[in-house]
Amino acid sequence: PVLPEGWAGEKDFKPIGHLSPSTDRNIEPVGPHFLAHARRKRHKRTFSEDDRI
Amino acid sequence: MSAEESPAERVAIGISFGNSYSSIAFTSSEGKAEVIANEDGDRQIPSILSYVEGEELHAGQAKSQLVRNAKNTVAYFRDFLGKDFKSIDPTPCHQAAHPIQHESTVAFKIQDSAEETENTVTVSQITTRHLKRLRISASDYLGKNVNAAVITVPTNFNDEQKDALKQSAKEAGLEVLQFISEPIAAVLAYDARPEAKLTDKLVIVADLGGTRSDIALVASRGGIYTLLATHHDFDVNGFQLDQALMDHFAKEFIKKHKSGGDPRENDRSLAKLKLECEAVKKALSIGTSASFSVESLSNGVDFVATINRSRYEILASKIFSAFARLLVQTVEKVNLDVLDISEIILAGGNSNSPKVSSAVANLFPQSTVILAPSTSATAINPSELPVRGAAIQASLIQEFELEDIEQSTHPAVTVTPHTKDPVGILLISGDENSGVFNVIVDGETPLPAGGDVLLKLVEANRHIKITKTEPKAREPSSDSDSEESDEEEEEVREKEYKVSSVLSEAALRGLKKGAKIEVQINIGHDLTVNAIFREVGAKTGVRGVLQGPKVTQNGSA
Repeated sequence: PVLPEGWAGEKDFKPIGHLSPSTDRNIEPVGPHFLAHARRKRHKRTFSEDDRI
Repeated sequence: MSAEESPAERVAIGISFGNSYSSIAFTSSEGKAEVIANEDGDRQIPSILSYVEGEELHAGQAKSQLVRNAKNTVAYFRDFLGKDFKSIDPTPCHQAAHPIQHESTVAFKIQDSAEETENTVTVSQITTRHLKRLRISASDYLGKNVNAAVITVPTNFNDEQKDALKQSAKEAGLEVLQFISEPIAAVLAYDARPEAKLTDKLVIVADLGGTRSDIALVASRGGIYTLLATHHDFDVNGFQLDQALMDHFAKEFIKKHKSGGDPRENDRSLAKLKLECEAVKKALSIGTSASFSVESLSNGVDFVATINRSRYEILASKIFSAFARLLVQTVEKVNLDVLDISEIILAGGNSNSPKVSSAVANLFPQSTVILAPSTSATAINPSELPVRGAAIQASLIQEFELEDIEQSTHPAVTVTPHTKDPVGILLISGDENSGVFNVIVDGETPLPAGGDVLLKLVEANRHIKITKTEPKAREPSSDSDSEESDEEEEEVREKEYKVSSVLSEAALRGLKKGAKIEVQINIGHDLTVNAIFREVGAKTGVRGVLQGPKVTQNGSA
């Protein structure tokens, strides 16, 4: 892979598009990873905050 | 028993409650799920109750009463719970006590006491008695009073059915901690094994049961499961497999014993035939031949015969392929392709039959992993999958307050946006069309989500794009006409990604030859993308943020 000549972006990063809209779905309330997710959500924590505890 | 047990005194088990069979399991102190056998030694406990002179027989003992005491034997009642009489299908009960309408619910008229009178027993009461027997079996085995359970239910069980089951369980002395759906329990049973690796995958759970077949398509993303599609079929089922055998042996019997008559025309003979055919079916899942033998099958004539597996597979081939087609139909329901499926979990007692997995394998690409006893040495017994999942879930939530469980299972669950398409990076060497797409966060991933990949760079200086793509199944026509005319043309199909929209570009300059690049992206709830590109070992990298679109989300609450 090569960088095309003349390519430039602010701090070498060039935002172009957006993600297409997400779909709301039910996740299944089962399994250890869900319980971790529910814990994060109820306490409004992020992944890294959760890891610290 | 109505008082809720405090979490400290709770002894919880997993229960799978089926129309034909139920099972119970607990999680040992080492964290392994173990299925409990009842006092008859059965791990698959028939969901049947029978009354003989006021004595209650349960499970296997009750099942044999289907021959002599069919009228006072209740079977296949799970799907009647919480339903009104008009909406049920009583066909499976033809050879047992018939369901009748009783107020707003379904009941059975049986002689369940020593007196010669018939009592009307509702399906809820029957369920309570059945669950009580299960609870006692588990308590005896564990030496502790079991008072709580996680129960598996089909995905189409509505709230009334769940409430009715919860009430029946309560009366049986069981606090229902949570209802979990059967297919999810099966996925959990596999994922909870120590050797299992959590990957992002699309899984089909195909449950071939006695009275019904249930297919579920599940997206598994980092151990979190989302149900994408379900299909329920009441026509393709294990009973049809029994029926194929029953017809076969009945015909043999008629041929051999002219005086015997057709055993299918007499209730008692039919019951005997059915019980034995189910046993033959089970034997053919393990061995390559099985013997059929019934004393006094019809008109006092004994009948002994044998059958080998290939004969049985021919007799039942239509049912096997009908079942396999259900899987494909479910995949197509959500506009996916068989190529998108990475794993198929075969569940339900009838999946023990090797032909089930080979029929399914025929319709799916070779890359699809089929988890069944005949295709995988590490497969779990298909009959035990849901109950194991339930036991694992029970051990996870055993210590929680009931209120906590309810709060966690409701609002937290429903409001989770999922990505629509996969997001990843494109490795290109010229124009976009020759790029190789690498998925970082797959489609249908619940948000927030993150992912990173490690790439080995071959040349210095490189150009990375985050692109968004859609999987496309390509169907190039085969190059040569098939030699045999009516043979179906082999088409070559493979999955490829097409870039649908470029999200951002980023450049890393002055890389060493053979450098490894680490790319990490995190997608937030609001579809904000955080991306970091970094050479391994380097302190600095390129990072960027993409704001989410301003439009509102689909179907947001």
